Amino acid sequence: MLNENSLWGNIFKSKIKEDAAVINILRKIPVFDDLNRRELAAIERILHRREYNHDEIIFREGDPGAGMYIIETGRVDIVREPDMHVLAELNDGEFFGELALLDDSPRTATAIVKIPCKMLCFLQPDMLDMIERNPRLGTKVLLRLARTMGERLKKSNEQIQALKEELSIKT
Amino acid sequence: MEKFSARLARALPVLIVISVILFFLVSVIGVIKLIIIAALLAYIIDPLATLLESRGMGRTHATAIIFFSILLAAGISLIFLLPMLASEISAIQTGFSSEKSKEMILKIEFLIKEEFSFFGVGNFDLTEGIHKTMVYLGDWLFSHIIDVAALITNLVIIPFMVFFLLKDGRAIKKEFLRVLPNRYFEMISSLLYKMDLQLGSYLRGQFIDAVVIGILSTLALWLLGLKYFIVIGAFTGLANLIPYLGPVAGGTLSVIASVMQRGDLSLVAPILLSFITIRMIDDVIVQPLVVARSVKMHPMLVLLAVIIGGKFFGILGMLISVPVTGFLKVVLEEGITSLRRYRLS
Repeated sequence: MLNENSLWGNIFKSKIKEDAAVINILRKIPVFDDLNRRELAAIERILHRREYNHDEIIFREGDPGAGMYIIETGRVDIVREPDMHVLAELNDGEFFGELALLDDSPRTATAIVKIPCKMLCFLQPDMLDMIERNPRLGTKVLLRLARTMGERLKKSNEQIQALKEELSIKT
Repeated sequence: MEKFSARLARALPVLIVISVILFFLVSVIGVIKLIIIAALLAYIIDPLATLLESRGMGRTHATAIIFFSILLAAGISLIFLLPMLASEISAIQTGFSSEKSKEMILKIEFLIKEEFSFFGVGNFDLTEGIHKTMVYLGDWLFSHIIDVAALITNLVIIPFMVFFLLKDGRAIKKEFLRVLPNRYFEMISSLLYKMDLQLGSYLRGQFIDAVVIGILSTLALWLLGLKYFIVIGAFTGLANLIPYLGPVAGGTLSVIASVMQRGDLSLVAPILLSFITIRMIDDVIVQPLVVARSVKMHPMLVLLAVIIGGKFFGILGMLISVPVTGFLKVVLEEGITSLRRYRLS
């Protein structure tokens, strides 16, 4: 009886620990950083936990996008096909593919695992379902997502501007 | 030859597994029927649970509230309707013994013998034929619809299944996605979502359509003074799930019932006029509003589905065959589109 209790106790404890770890990771992601603990727990419940092996492809350039990935542990390279030019190296706590939350247009790059990964996946269908069930939380997430995109767009514009200036100096 | 036997050896385990699964499915066909009905009902009710959730209620509470409201409404309706339905059905069974209807049947029988004697219908006994059919129909209705044991079992099992499908539907879906290989995970998730959208609107549309047509038919038959207006109205609403055949079946049953009740053809024209009007209301107003256009099915496909459904599950099979075919059509179409988009085909 005691053993049974401790077994169940251990199972629940490890589940609670895992959930708390996920919530800590989510807090650092810009899309979720202004959510309270209760809202983060609601997000945590709809995330999918996946594990990927070395060199496994998470998604390919041209595939329809279905959601965003958050790296719990491991390393992912974002590469451009066909030359496999590395665009970014992403590690623990970083995220990618968030554009797919807004539409299912083709992925613009390939994501390939370089160090075996534990991943949290936030899918577009789950987000749309969440917006319907919990519009308040949905709006918060969407607003943060829009801001993240806006920041990325600003950065891209700055980079384009810098490149233009560089080109005009050269010519 | 060697190649063939190697292929056969490879295919044999797969064939055995498929046969075992098929054998299992056939042997638990009754349970499958219950699961299909529960899943269809859960689909229809799901938006209500989501609506309550969006008002800040937990899923379990939302499900429980909807569930008990429906049970309460169904219980109250049953208490009032069951005795009425039972008396209407037994009235249908014995309805042909009235003098007027006997006279009418004899008239029709005489007409058929006179006009169609060249078809060899000289020994044709319409009274006996109709009597046997109606007794059979009455017995069937009693044994299948008002079969108390089956009714109680279904009344317990189906709501139980609907409750858990509503409450844990998302968890079941998440668990299903969890066991999928990484390669198919995104694709199947999107596929399920698109299917869910299409199928949900289709099923809910069909349900609302059936309810509206059922109410309109019951009202029309009540206004016309037909005796069995509840049974026939409800039957017409349900039969409306079967395109093309359903409305005709409802109309025919009403005409037969009116002839039997009145002993003349006086109600035939008003009944036909009412059914044509209801059909027009259905086509012009109800269907465009509630039934999803995306699950359009070819008449031939519908007919085949109804025949196959009837073969497996009888009348109930005929009713659920159309939504099930709609489901399979969505699965197939969305599946093929997804395979192409993910370059897996």
